[in-house]
Amino acid sequence: MATLQVEIVTPEVALWAGEATALIARSSEGDFTIMSQHTPTVGDIIPSVVRVETSEGEIAFAVHGGYFQVGPDEAEGVTRATVLAGVAERTTQIDVPRAQAAKEAAEAQLAAATRGEASDHAANLLAEAALQRAELRLQAAAG
Amino acid sequence: MAGGQERILRRRIKSVQATRKITKAMELIAASQIAKSQARITANRPYRDGMRRIIVEAALGDPAAAKKLLTMPEKVDSAIVLVVTGDRGLSGAYNSSVMRRAERLVNSLRIEGTDVRLYAVGKKATAFFRFRGMRVEENFIGFADRPSFADARTVAATIAAPFIDGEVQQVLLVSTNFLSAGTQTVGTRQLLPLAMPEPVLTNEPEKSKGYTEFEPEVADLLFFLAPRALESEIFSALLEGAASFHISQQRAMAAATDNADELGQTLSRIMNRARQDSITTEIMEIVGGAEALRSGK
Repeated sequence: MATLQVEIVTPEVALWAGEATALIARSSEGDFTIMSQHTPTVGDIIPSVVRVETSEGEIAFAVHGGYFQVGPDEAEGVTRATVLAGVAERTTQIDVPRAQAAKEAAEAQLAAATRGEASDHAANLLAEAALQRAELRLQAAAG
Repeated sequence: MAGGQERILRRRIKSVQATRKITKAMELIAASQIAKSQARITANRPYRDGMRRIIVEAALGDPAAAKKLLTMPEKVDSAIVLVVTGDRGLSGAYNSSVMRRAERLVNSLRIEGTDVRLYAVGKKATAFFRFRGMRVEENFIGFADRPSFADARTVAATIAAPFIDGEVQQVLLVSTNFLSAGTQTVGTRQLLPLAMPEPVLTNEPEKSKGYTEFEPEVADLLFFLAPRALESEIFSALLEGAASFHISQQRAMAAATDNADELGQTLSRIMNRARQDSITTEIMEIVGGAEALRSGK
């Protein structure tokens, strides 16, 4: 039986590993779906929601940018898909009020920057990244 | 009277016992940290291995692009040495063995005519190298015990900048490798250019498992992937360093506790003998006095 083994890992913790029917994600070239027997592929993942379809239903992860690799496993007939993300979380574990607060804080910082009040370039870049993360979290948590 | 000596001994025993309590507490704390830091290494392994696989895959996919990024230049004029130590002492030879290895490396590089810039993680490094007349460009402090991935990114960004600008051609890492709970060894590794397994470097035409697709193009992918791989390698090194530190400290503090036990025992033996001596003397005096009184009657 041809099967697909999916791993979602971050530097701090291996989020999920197991057998799946499909892996759906978004790279800089567009959305893609990976199933068993997929061509060996290496690519990036832009900040988006990554979905893993298993026989018990769908599991979604908010992935804040990363990479993926698909290839045959040492075991016969097994395709292995690995998603490497610097930051990622299960959508069910997203702290919505916290993400909302982070979004508002980042927006306030950026609004101040456009008014020309906050000139710290690094802080503004951080706020921009924080805003992106918060927005993705809110969107992912909403389903 | 011998009572004075007894009092001094009593005070020393007390101080030894107080020290023992401290070392025992540190031993227990370190022991509890060992399990945690080991669990973090285990949790990091899939990411580290996955990152290495991707880099190899990408390098095999476009050896020309990989070569530019990943091969050593003919001549290294300038290099960075990154030293990973701990923030705290009382950990046996953990800090000093890493720093001594780094010192040897720096000296041998300088003899070869390579200019060396030192970067260090851990509080102990600056003092050590300043004493030897070596300047530490930047010392990262405060996270050696419990490094986070964000810390690794900071370190990676700092040391990658001169490499990307072409100011240095090589980045070396001196750190402690955590092989198992029983074995940790100090090792030197090349971080940049990214270390590649043999078949990629020798560029043998295709032992690869076949055709791999890339999106986006390999060259673009590698450009962004390389910094991630560096962060991953540094993070693993920090985690292994932290675990090794805790193990080293636990061992050192266990030995210190044993020593305190032994010293306390020796001291209380001496004190007991001194006390017995003084009691014997006192009895002799009383008996002598009573004899004198009786015979003088």
